[in-house]
Amino acid sequence: MSHSAAHAHEAPTSTGIDHKKLIMWLFLASDCMFFGTLISTHLLYRKLYPTGFTDAEGHQQFVQKLFDIELTSFSTFILLMSSFLMALAVSAMHKGGQLKSFRRNVLGVIVFGLIFLGCQVYEFTHFYHQGLTVQNSVFGSTFYVLTGTHGTHVAIGVLWLVLLYFYSFTGKLGGHVGALDVEVAGLYWHFVDIVWIIIFTAVYLVEYLGPDGIWGNGLPPVPGVTR
Amino acid sequence: MSHDHHHAPVASRYDLAPERSDIGLIRPDRFTGWRDWLTTVDHKKIGVLYGAFAMFFFLVGGVEALGIRTQLSRPDNDFITARMYNQLFTMHGTTMIFLGVMPLSAAFFNFLVPLQIGARDVAFPRLNAFSLWTFVFGAFVLNASWLFEFAHLSGWLKSFGWYNALVYTDFAPANGWFSYAPLSGTFGQADAALRAPRFTGVGTDFWIIGIQILGIASLAASFNFICTILNMRAKGMTMMRLPVFTWMTLVTSFLIILAFPAITVALIQLMFDRQFGANFFNPSAGGQPVLWQHLFWIFGHPEVYILVLPAMGIVSEVLPTFSGKSLFGYPIIVFSGAVIGFLGFAVWSHHMFTTGLGPVPTAAFSLLTMAIAVPTGVKIFNWLGTIWGGRVRFTPPMVLSLGFIWMFMCGGFSGIMHSSAPADSQQQDSYFVIAHFHYVLLGGVLLGLMSGLYFWFPKIFGRMPKASVAYWASGLVILGFNLAFGPMHYLGLAGQPRRTHTYHAGFGWETWNYVATIGAFILGIGVFIAFANLVWTAFRGEKCSSDPWDGRTLEWSLPSPVPEYNFARSPVIACRDAFFAHKHGAHRLVYEQDGGEAGVHMPSQSWMPLLASCGFLLAGLGMPMSAMGVPHAGWVVIAGLGVLFLGIWLWALEGPGGYMLKTPVAPAPAPAEAAASR
Repeated sequence: MSHSAAHAHEAPTSTGIDHKKLIMWLFLASDCMFFGTLISTHLLYRKLYPTGFTDAEGHQQFVQKLFDIELTSFSTFILLMSSFLMALAVSAMHKGGQLKSFRRNVLGVIVFGLIFLGCQVYEFTHFYHQGLTVQNSVFGSTFYVLTGTHGTHVAIGVLWLVLLYFYSFTGKLGGHVGALDVEVAGLYWHFVDIVWIIIFTAVYLVEYLGPDGIWGNGLPPVPGVTR
Repeated sequence: MSHDHHHAPVASRYDLAPERSDIGLIRPDRFTGWRDWLTTVDHKKIGVLYGAFAMFFFLVGGVEALGIRTQLSRPDNDFITARMYNQLFTMHGTTMIFLGVMPLSAAFFNFLVPLQIGARDVAFPRLNAFSLWTFVFGAFVLNASWLFEFAHLSGWLKSFGWYNALVYTDFAPANGWFSYAPLSGTFGQADAALRAPRFTGVGTDFWIIGIQILGIASLAASFNFICTILNMRAKGMTMMRLPVFTWMTLVTSFLIILAFPAITVALIQLMFDRQFGANFFNPSAGGQPVLWQHLFWIFGHPEVYILVLPAMGIVSEVLPTFSGKSLFGYPIIVFSGAVIGFLGFAVWSHHMFTTGLGPVPTAAFSLLTMAIAVPTGVKIFNWLGTIWGGRVRFTPPMVLSLGFIWMFMCGGFSGIMHSSAPADSQQQDSYFVIAHFHYVLLGGVLLGLMSGLYFWFPKIFGRMPKASVAYWASGLVILGFNLAFGPMHYLGLAGQPRRTHTYHAGFGWETWNYVATIGAFILGIGVFIAFANLVWTAFRGEKCSSDPWDGRTLEWSLPSPVPEYNFARSPVIACRDAFFAHKHGAHRLVYEQDGGEAGVHMPSQSWMPLLASCGFLLAGLGMPMSAMGVPHAGWVVIAGLGVLFLGIWLWALEGPGGYMLKTPVAPAPAPAEAAASR
């Protein structure tokens, strides 16, 4: 009997989808609800309290003034490009396990992921110095917990890819199973990327719709501008 | 991936030569005794462990309930303090739902699903072990709060320095099983240590982290079961030939993976409020406590169906077997189960009619709640149609399943009453609600699960529970249950509020409270006799044949106890209830030519799932202890996360392993005597 038929984990499945890929899709479906709940919480409170937050000195601060949309756009672009490299890494494994190409691309994903995380660390520090903390407002709580949870997902993804990178030197990463393992990591990475596109839109960009943002965040009136 | 570690097929795993995993450790494949149970990846053993722990926690939750009922047996009673009373009803609800019913359902999922679909194991055997041990440690973390509470009551905790700084005194959870904010949360401003003042003690922190860990266990198990059911069906086992129990497992698992994230996030938010001074539910900073209610019930209402659908699946297997007929309206039963799953996500606000949602949402949730009664009613009619005209055998499982239909319908009727918002606002927070959900969850779910235990026990252990004891236990349970919870309808409508420690004489509640307490003790004795009967049977019961009930589904085609490889050769399915058709109908069961000489591939056992779960134990105990101010407890949390990572990492590196097991070459023998006698 051939090995492929003898092993339960390599036997053909009823749906034709590998177990590992199916379970990752199921996990991602669950994670959709997870981020959906976090994003809903943020949006509900944003609608309820459109005017931002009060810093430690008691000054009213505005979300549009707080955000550094150029920096966040840059880190968003970096994360998007990391997904492109991830797709190349998966493709390299599917083309008969081209390990060199896999390593080059996955290293790019890791570096881009770290740049994204670096931007987030900088952003958090910057916001903290601007007076936004988890404790001083509902906005601070929802913002830090939502984006921080996403950052944790990215960090876990980076850790996973680092481990896969080093594992590729053991000579055990190859064949159908190796390609599948990389593809499953890729599914996770793309998902985390897509979630960020939604967060970037729902948390950042909508603050810039019209002069007051979608919530009407009540910036001080500018002479000559009709709102 | 290398396969050089696979040896020639062996007759038993104890014949294996010591085999090293990819990280150089000897695989624990040859263990016997307790080390075998700790490292097992066999879905049948994992199912038995789930069942044993669940039955234990059923008894714990039952003792907590009897404490409550003793306190309420007469007016102005002081059997227990109000503080202990709050802790008892909180832990009673939490224990019964998360440590009793859900794991007992998981026990059936584990044992039955691979057998019913003709598979040799679940899709991820080690993940299955991880789910089990994570559940066990989550249960331990939750109940560790009792150890601290008792240490506090005995005065022993006073000797510790950090104890004096504690202003919070509830060591066991005391917020009720849905832990409403702001009671469970914070108020005012966070101090320099980023802690805001809290209404309740560290018991709430035990509750938060305990439920979080139990949620992870349920999620991991559900991913595994969906994958197993969709991907590992035997040849010919199409979706519409799946046994209804397997269908309900599938629907339940989908409910779990889509509903649990809401409570996961809510718990994270509440944890941030309590540990780091965040403001999600802090009213003094603009947090909205009603958001907790929404998030909790978006999870909590599907949870109700997570509890009841497996029991409905069991009943759908028991009734046809003992009516000698196939299930009436199989596609409609399956479809109704799926509709219940969908609608279950659209009715959560009926728990919140009194919060002032406004007329439109109230009307919408009222209508949807009435609508969800339709698929449930459809199921009941189909079950009645199954019994109709059948040759009914009143065996213990059948008696309990008939009890399920009857009691569940009573609970359903009072449920429909709640769907009317004006009526509900009168019944809210009264004993009427207690009566309603105990009829659904106890008269419904517990009777269904007990029916399943009596039905499949002969398959699990190859031994038959004593019928006379089983009838007595069933009778006591049904009698005691109705005595305990029937009067609560009246008490609720007569105004007795839920969750009050005691009541004064003169409201007209004395008699029925006394009756309810007597009923609760009869019920407790009944459940205890049933469980004692089952445990005794497992070790000493009379041996029975492999198909004592004339069963319909594939598990009855196997020997009892089921061999570790399940099917010596994989069955090929030609119709619904294939084994019944094999014995009595046109279709013979045929088997694929796998297995045999080359053997069956078995997954290797592993320590790693247990190791990873230990990480949750450490982190789970460390978190509330750091909230208490125990020195260095924060490091225990970090160490726990480290152990979790280490466990998962080694798990990935050790490789799945596996070995080939020789099986009897001939296909599993058909029960010739059963076929010949008809």
